[in-house]
Amino acid sequence: MKLLTHNMLTSHVKGVTKGYPLLIKATAVKVNEVEFNPQFVSRMIPKLEWGVLVQAADWLGQREDLPAELVSDYEKNDDFLKKVHRVLLEVEVIEGCLQCPESGREFPISKGIPNMLLNEDEV
Amino acid sequence: MSSQGDAAAEQDSDAVGPCTETDVTIGDIITVTIGATVPTGFEHTAAEEVKEKIGVDARISKDRGRIYFPITTDKLFQVHLLRSVDNLFVVVEEFDHYQFKQSKEDTLMELQQLASKLPWTNALEVWKQNGALKKKKSHRRGGNTTKVKPNNEAGDEVVADSEQQEQSEVLTAAEGQSKPEGTPDSETREQEAQEAAPEAKVIKFRVTCSRAGDKHSFSSNEAARDFGGAVQEFFQWKADMTKFDIEVLLNIHNEEVVIGIALTEESLHRRNISHFGPTTLRSTLCYGMLRLCKPQASDIILDPMCGTGAIPLEGAIEFNSAFYIAGDNNDMAVNRTVNNICHIQKRRADKGSHPGLPIDTVRWDLSNLPIRTSSVDIIITDMPFGKRMGSKKKNWDLYPSCLREMARVCRPGSGKAVLLTQDKKCFSKAISRMGGLWRKLHTVWVNVGGLHAGVYLLKRTTAVFGQTPEDVYESQGKVDDKDDSQHS
Repeated sequence: MKLLTHNMLTSHVKGVTKGYPLLIKATAVKVNEVEFNPQFVSRMIPKLEWGVLVQAADWLGQREDLPAELVSDYEKNDDFLKKVHRVLLEVEVIEGCLQCPESGREFPISKGIPNMLLNEDEV
Repeated sequence: MSSQGDAAAEQDSDAVGPCTETDVTIGDIITVTIGATVPTGFEHTAAEEVKEKIGVDARISKDRGRIYFPITTDKLFQVHLLRSVDNLFVVVEEFDHYQFKQSKEDTLMELQQLASKLPWTNALEVWKQNGALKKKKSHRRGGNTTKVKPNNEAGDEVVADSEQQEQSEVLTAAEGQSKPEGTPDSETREQEAQEAAPEAKVIKFRVTCSRAGDKHSFSSNEAARDFGGAVQEFFQWKADMTKFDIEVLLNIHNEEVVIGIALTEESLHRRNISHFGPTTLRSTLCYGMLRLCKPQASDIILDPMCGTGAIPLEGAIEFNSAFYIAGDNNDMAVNRTVNNICHIQKRRADKGSHPGLPIDTVRWDLSNLPIRTSSVDIIITDMPFGKRMGSKKKNWDLYPSCLREMARVCRPGSGKAVLLTQDKKCFSKAISRMGGLWRKLHTVWVNVGGLHAGVYLLKRTTAVFGQTPEDVYESQGKVDDKDDSQHS
């Protein structure tokens, strides 16, 4: 699971109103090289929950010096975009789990795939 | 190709023989017509791609899954960059209105005579040049063992064609060829051929005939056998159904006859998928669907029923400035998707390029997606037809609930969905109740393994999810759906 995907995922357990963001408990993390596309990153940033991305990177010990607040004029800042690129697409959680912040329900991540299926009584 | 005296002597006086075109020397740039088979229904999409990548206008053979376009040999490599085509061939000759004789014997006799009259020279030159281009390609493909390929290819061909055109039969003279092969002086002829051929070995060939139309007195089998026999006679090639160097195509559709030489060994639609599932879509069809929704940089694209991951994987490779999330509720499907992604990544790593792709896999239930509301730009998926996957009855519940869930995660006002289904009745009903959330822009009718299916392009309305009458109406509608009389 890439952190860009984590940025999109939310808990959908029945009755949960604040299921975002999911907590990450990682036991295996991998960095997998992906081609850098500055346009992709700069256009993706407005769609992100920035704080969640930074926090997720922090949980995995991959934050480096990413600022808590989004910098201005990032479009032209290749150095910054490269760092964002890395946490968005290259850092992957291979084993571990995601936890719903409200219900505490855990969703296992195995071989890089989060299993978000719910039991019948949770839907 | 060098002309051959005895063969030329047999020609009728009005024939256009290969001798007349010997002025073309190797290395010269020549213009030929390339034919391509494409998923039926996506002819225009393919023509659009040809225009974009090669810069020429393609002629569309409508509803037959074929397009034709001119190309000069210096640009031949470009045809292998096309993503919407299944198979490529160079046209030797085409007849729009071929007058078939009444009797089978006369018709087949005429086909035999045709072999020596055709203008083969340019097409063979293109075939020769293509050899180098094609080889590079199969090398790049890596992974698969070469031994398996011909078998796959042959098997697939039969399946694909018989599924696509019910009337056509594919065949290539399996038994028929054995007879001419045994001609007494074949040895000496082989020697002659060896001298003539630069490869210094006998060229092995097969003829593949596909025929569609009800006014023919002969079968594709007979046509391939007799035409193939004459081709063998003319060129002194050796027939070989599996280890052929050259594949001559004889395509007959009513009174249209096209003779070509294949430029692709296996259909290009197999390019990405190594782990096939029960209903894997052709990559070429996936490409066509992706083209329909025009992915933009940084689009978040979801396939909520990804199966083997064929669609998002094609997207991640060909439209790689978007991000793809592939999901399925079935663990086998999810595993296949991951295996297919890994396979491509490994191939890329072997080639020395960045291995990673902008794609991720999640296991989920599509009627209850674990995705933020209004966060997705495009939803693209192959919905269960209710034949090999799911059932028509289940679809009556599934379609409305997944259309609603898709509407929830999709960005209002700009979000799009491209959905493929064969269960058109159910889909139309479901979408007609979703007017407040989805607007149908366009439908492309396609042929998927012989099934008539629709690719629906939908646009998300500006309505905020949860505030449209459709949501309320839908929950009432769900109760109605329990009534089985509607379903049959």
